[in-house]
Amino acid sequence: MNYEIVCGIETHIELATKTKIFCGCTTEFGGEPNTHCCPVCTGQPGSLPILNQKVVEYAIKAGLALNCKINTKSHMDRKNYVYPDLPKAYQISQYDEPLCEKGYIELDSGKRIGITRIHIEEDAGKLIHENGYTYIDYNRSGVPLIEIVSEPDISSAEEAKEYAEKLQLIMRYIGISDCKMQEGSMRCDVNLSLRKPGDPRFGVRTEIKNINSLSFIQKAVMAEAERQADILDAGGTIVQQTMRYDEGTNSTTPMRDKENSDDYRYFPDPDILRFSIDDEKVEEIRTSLPELPFDKLKRYVNVLGLPEATAKQISRYRKVAEFFEGALAEGASVKNTANLIVGTIFSNMDTEEEKELFAVRISAAQFAALVKLADEKKINIGFAQSTLQKMLESGKPVEEFIKPEDLVGISNEELESLCKEAVDANPKAVADVRSGKDKAINMLFGYIMKKTGGKADIRKAEVLLRKLIGQ
Amino acid sequence: MTISKTEIEKLAKLAKLSFSEEELERFTAEFDEIIAFADTINQSIEGGTEQIRNVGARMVSFDDLRTDEVVPSLPNEKILSNVEGYNGFFSVERSKK
Amino acid sequence: MRTGISELAIRLRNREISAVELTKAYIDAIEKLNPTLNAYVHLTFDTALKAAEKADQMLKEDDAPLLCGIPMALKDNICTDGLTTTCCSKILKGFKPYHDATVWEKLKAHGAVLLGKTNMDEFAMGSTSETSCYGAPLNPRNTNYVTGGSSGGSAAAVCANLAVYSLGSDTGGSIRQPASFCGVVGLKPTYGAVSRYGLIAYGSSLDQIGPLTNSVKDAAIVFDAIKGGDKRDQTSVDYDYGSSLAECLDRDVKGMRIGVAEEFFNGINPEIKSKIEEAIKLFEINGAVIENIRLPALKLALPVYYIIACAEASSNLGRYDGIRYGYRTSFYTSIEDMIVKTRSEGFGDEVKRRIMLGTYVLSSGYYDAYYKKACLIREEINREFDAVFEKCDVLVAPTAPNTAFPLNYKGASPVEMYLSDICTVPVNIAGVPAISVPCGEDARGLPIGMQIIGRRFDEATVLQVAHFYEQIAGKVIGAYEGGAGI
Repeated sequence: MNYEIVCGIETHIELATKTKIFCGCTTEFGGEPNTHCCPVCTGQPGSLPILNQKVVEYAIKAGLALNCKINTKSHMDRKNYVYPDLPKAYQISQYDEPLCEKGYIELDSGKRIGITRIHIEEDAGKLIHENGYTYIDYNRSGVPLIEIVSEPDISSAEEAKEYAEKLQLIMRYIGISDCKMQEGSMRCDVNLSLRKPGDPRFGVRTEIKNINSLSFIQKAVMAEAERQADILDAGGTIVQQTMRYDEGTNSTTPMRDKENSDDYRYFPDPDILRFSIDDEKVEEIRTSLPELPFDKLKRYVNVLGLPEATAKQISRYRKVAEFFEGALAEGASVKNTANLIVGTIFSNMDTEEEKELFAVRISAAQFAALVKLADEKKINIGFAQSTLQKMLESGKPVEEFIKPEDLVGISNEELESLCKEAVDANPKAVADVRSGKDKAINMLFGYIMKKTGGKADIRKAEVLLRKLIGQ
Repeated sequence: MTISKTEIEKLAKLAKLSFSEEELERFTAEFDEIIAFADTINQSIEGGTEQIRNVGARMVSFDDLRTDEVVPSLPNEKILSNVEGYNGFFSVERSKK
Repeated sequence: MRTGISELAIRLRNREISAVELTKAYIDAIEKLNPTLNAYVHLTFDTALKAAEKADQMLKEDDAPLLCGIPMALKDNICTDGLTTTCCSKILKGFKPYHDATVWEKLKAHGAVLLGKTNMDEFAMGSTSETSCYGAPLNPRNTNYVTGGSSGGSAAAVCANLAVYSLGSDTGGSIRQPASFCGVVGLKPTYGAVSRYGLIAYGSSLDQIGPLTNSVKDAAIVFDAIKGGDKRDQTSVDYDYGSSLAECLDRDVKGMRIGVAEEFFNGINPEIKSKIEEAIKLFEINGAVIENIRLPALKLALPVYYIIACAEASSNLGRYDGIRYGYRTSFYTSIEDMIVKTRSEGFGDEVKRRIMLGTYVLSSGYYDAYYKKACLIREEINREFDAVFEKCDVLVAPTAPNTAFPLNYKGASPVEMYLSDICTVPVNIAGVPAISVPCGEDARGLPIGMQIIGRRFDEATVLQVAHFYEQIAGKVIGAYEGGAGI
């Protein structure tokens, strides 16, 4: 039997503000246990929460980047439940007046996944269970989060992954979170049900909690869809419950039910006044948003004429794109700039994180100075690459590595005599070329480049060489 | 409007309270009276359906919210001064007989 | 009449008495009387003497504040850094906050001398202070009677001259009603006029800190010192009162419009009713215009109050789980079990009742019918008050429908006890200021209180009318003999 997947994703993202959502304690990751704490974030009797402006601003940024409508009036609610990691026994969140509503993310296929809402709330502390004890650290308690809830528009494991990937990319781009799934600064809960194709009714859904990697989202959706399909095929019914995805066995299993956990008794928090954001403020935040990666990608391909693969690699990381555009602004050519970034700079960066951080020791202007030498054919690409490598290692500008005499190049006479030398010194390679093994000509190029320290114009050399070989 | 013992037990569970059988009897009776008292609000003015908001109509603007500046946290000894901590953590033995 | 704060301040400045001597006199009185009256539950004599020494230093300067060196008391739900604060609940046994309430921080800066923390109903839930885990305080005027509540210890301490003044908190009448029962002055300021930071919450949208004193002028002096906006309490307001309210008390009531709403007089003890009517006559004789007004929604104020206060309390009191502070049960099978046992052993019956009611009115299926409805009616009550204050400058009403109850009175069910808050809760619902001043005694010699209610942030008029009454009415209740004798 074939089923249609109906899937929605709830994503929690930790905001990169300096302070917690309701107190001035730092949000810095790590630290000795209970050292980033105060009366407010440990729920001391008599303490009161004071909302951080930056949290509201970041949530609005997220909303605007996801095409949401911004509610210019909003308030905080209390979500009541008792658990040792929640020091006040309620989480301050938003219930019926979230900051942002009704947005979407567009997938590569052009399909739009609706965003139901984005609201702000506080994170809980951390529990460690060891030796018969539970130890509690409230350093994370009160760290600001946004929860982004999607519509159940996702209909495949691939779409689920792409949705999360795109979300992560956008959030990083607008600079509100580092969205590291392993460290928990981005966490996904997946809601999933199956139905027969064409059936307008939804099936009973389950929720897979706390998935901590993009590929696990895809795998978890597949595993859960299979599990549900097996039950339905066998004539069974799906039980509404919370599941856990186990990456070891690639399967989903029910979590122990928290009793009564669903009557949260939400009500407006009387300690926090309702707040308003005027339209000018929203516009101000809108103008502060960078061009988003998909808009950049389109522009790089359509306007700048970059191949899509290269454009994707550059537009994916905000800092890379800024570096790229910075070099262009200095007058460097699109093609050489892009190729040197993707070919040389990226070769030093193995991980996504390094590209994300893009910690290069030279400025875009210094980089452009080098690219322009190649653009003007004063140096060849190979020499540009090796020089760039040295610049990256030392952080020194191009003048340190290329002296004025290097830029003069090789005179035609010198090149001619060098070509003759190369032919004489490599009879085998010459014979191979003559017999049709054209690749052997590289031996001759290598000889010339070695002799000139990479300064020779290889296209000119090729013309001369072929003449000498008699082709 | 009367309330059953089962409902009282359900509420107690939500409120993280437990009652002995005798307490439960007494509480259920008292609670009936209390609910009847609370219910008097439903015998009069018909309320509108507008959403309720925070205290009064007072609102603040975005500019009045707290600026994102770090204030030093308290030392760990202070945070743990009302309990027996363990290596800087709050600690609870998971069962005690 | 007992020596007021301004007279004491003069004597301190004239070196007739030092702050240390004054403090010792109060310590002696407390040691003598507190074992009977039980007004204080935690004594802070060591820190008091140190503070008094410091005050004596401050008093050498010309600009020492008025409250410098004056011995006083705080209700046990106001946080004091390093000093036990328990809300008179077993669940906060031994709790020492590591932060000061803003009001205490302000008073300390004024050179205040804290004698101790006063008795109260557990978590401020009650009208007699009998739900305290330390046992009830006794009414100094007649120890067979209660002090009222919840700020019973604060009222008793001031009444018995075991403190020059004290702070209490008022969620549904908890300053005014014990002030009335003990024959002292109690001011509940406008919601937001005084920071709630460091006040252990009961009903957050209703709670407000205020002074209990021997005179209206003292109340004005203390209010002057504690009022003002606080960046740690977003619901506080930095209202511009212009100048010191204590210096602007002298104003007669000629031409003033004083409102009287019959809803405040339904079911009131006739002795009380006639005393209030006498007071109203007195205002009229002195040129005030008496306006008979109506507040129809007032009949719903009590259930609205109990629904909202208990809903907020059920959430505010969730944090007492035995993990971070206070009492933790000894034996349990799991952390969940520890939390349930800690709370069941740590909270008293009245607190449990209100947590249960609050949980009920917020739970799914009942939210709309109770909590939401109550909030809508609250807005209606606010509108009625606003309309009334278009026509009137202040309202005059009884503070309570009765005088002090006998101790251990078992004749009333919980709901019957709730009904006795009828005159005070509407004021908290509307967030307006009100004061209770003594206006006579009943046949048993128990004090009767009159309430003067004003517009939001118009404490000035409330205090002026109260001060006028105090001056013109003269001695309306017997003096309390005893205490520090100062």
